[in-house]
Amino acid sequence: MKIMQMSFMIIGVFLFFVLVGLFVLGIVFKDVNAGAKELAMQEAVASIEVIAAMPELNYDERDSMVIDKDKLKVLAGGLAEDYEMFWPIASLEIYKVYPVFDERISCPAAGCNYYDVYDSGHRDVEKFSSYVSICERVREFGYVYDRCEIGKIVVGMKIWDSEVVE
Amino acid sequence: MKFRDGVRRVLGCEKRGQQEIVGFVLIVVLVVIGLMVFLIISVRDSGEEVGGVRVSNMVDVLMRTTTDCAIVSEPYFEDFEDLFKSCREGDSCANLGVSACDYLNESLRNVVSSMVMSDASVDGWEVEFSVREGEGILRWSDGECAGGVSGAQRTIVSGGTSLIVRMRVC
Repeated sequence: MKIMQMSFMIIGVFLFFVLVGLFVLGIVFKDVNAGAKELAMQEAVASIEVIAAMPELNYDERDSMVIDKDKLKVLAGGLAEDYEMFWPIASLEIYKVYPVFDERISCPAAGCNYYDVYDSGHRDVEKFSSYVSICERVREFGYVYDRCEIGKIVVGMKIWDSEVVE
Repeated sequence: MKFRDGVRRVLGCEKRGQQEIVGFVLIVVLVVIGLMVFLIISVRDSGEEVGGVRVSNMVDVLMRTTTDCAIVSEPYFEDFEDLFKSCREGDSCANLGVSACDYLNESLRNVVSSMVMSDASVDGWEVEFSVREGEGILRWSDGECAGGVSGAQRTIVSGGTSLIVRMRVC
């Protein structure tokens, strides 16, 4: 009788711990999905930093996330197509956030605010963005100074081996 | 005599049964405490890091932005970092004829609003400019903070005083 009671107790405790284990596993695996998304986001943010730090875009190598406006103008003017094998991404766009603009004017043009630097033509692209400073060296009243505006860099990442739209 | 022995035996069994129940309850309590600790740790870790990086980047970009205020004369325009220092020192924008603090108060709201406007995931924001000792100088905010909050802060040293610019985004 006592052995039976004991065995019931052990089974009860075992079942209790199994339920607790399932509860913990449920929470852990719920976090795995969120963790995967977070890692993808971290990777994207790191990629954006790497791209913004490239000598082709960077304004001052001591500062990260600072883009040279003159280099942008050149790249948006069509030179970026020659870099097709160079960019490790699907697309790269940069636009001004401040000063605020009413309509999008693609560069190169007077008073432009949108730089379409590179587009590989991939169809399935996931886009990530971050704020950047867009700086240029300006000469006014005989003096040279740095003028920085606020922009947003939008990087398109290829999803698997997506097709290229011609 | 037999009746007394029987009662004693029953009472002894009940005592042992109570001990087992107390032991079981103790195990349950310990497991529940363990679960609570686990839950608190797992909730604390979620999403703060990336959000913090993003807000930190926002503050860096904001600090570098050139304003239209020139304290000395044009074209020596201040960036926001210098403007915070000039506000603390009570300077004025020579080209605009307003105090650095008034210009900062007006322009920072516009700049942060336009930054946030381009980000659909932001519901509200708050920027606070204070001296290290806790004395608040200026504060801007907009929107409602209902969900998770990410934040970043920068310390600017001006004339031996540490100025703190803190940003919170939700």
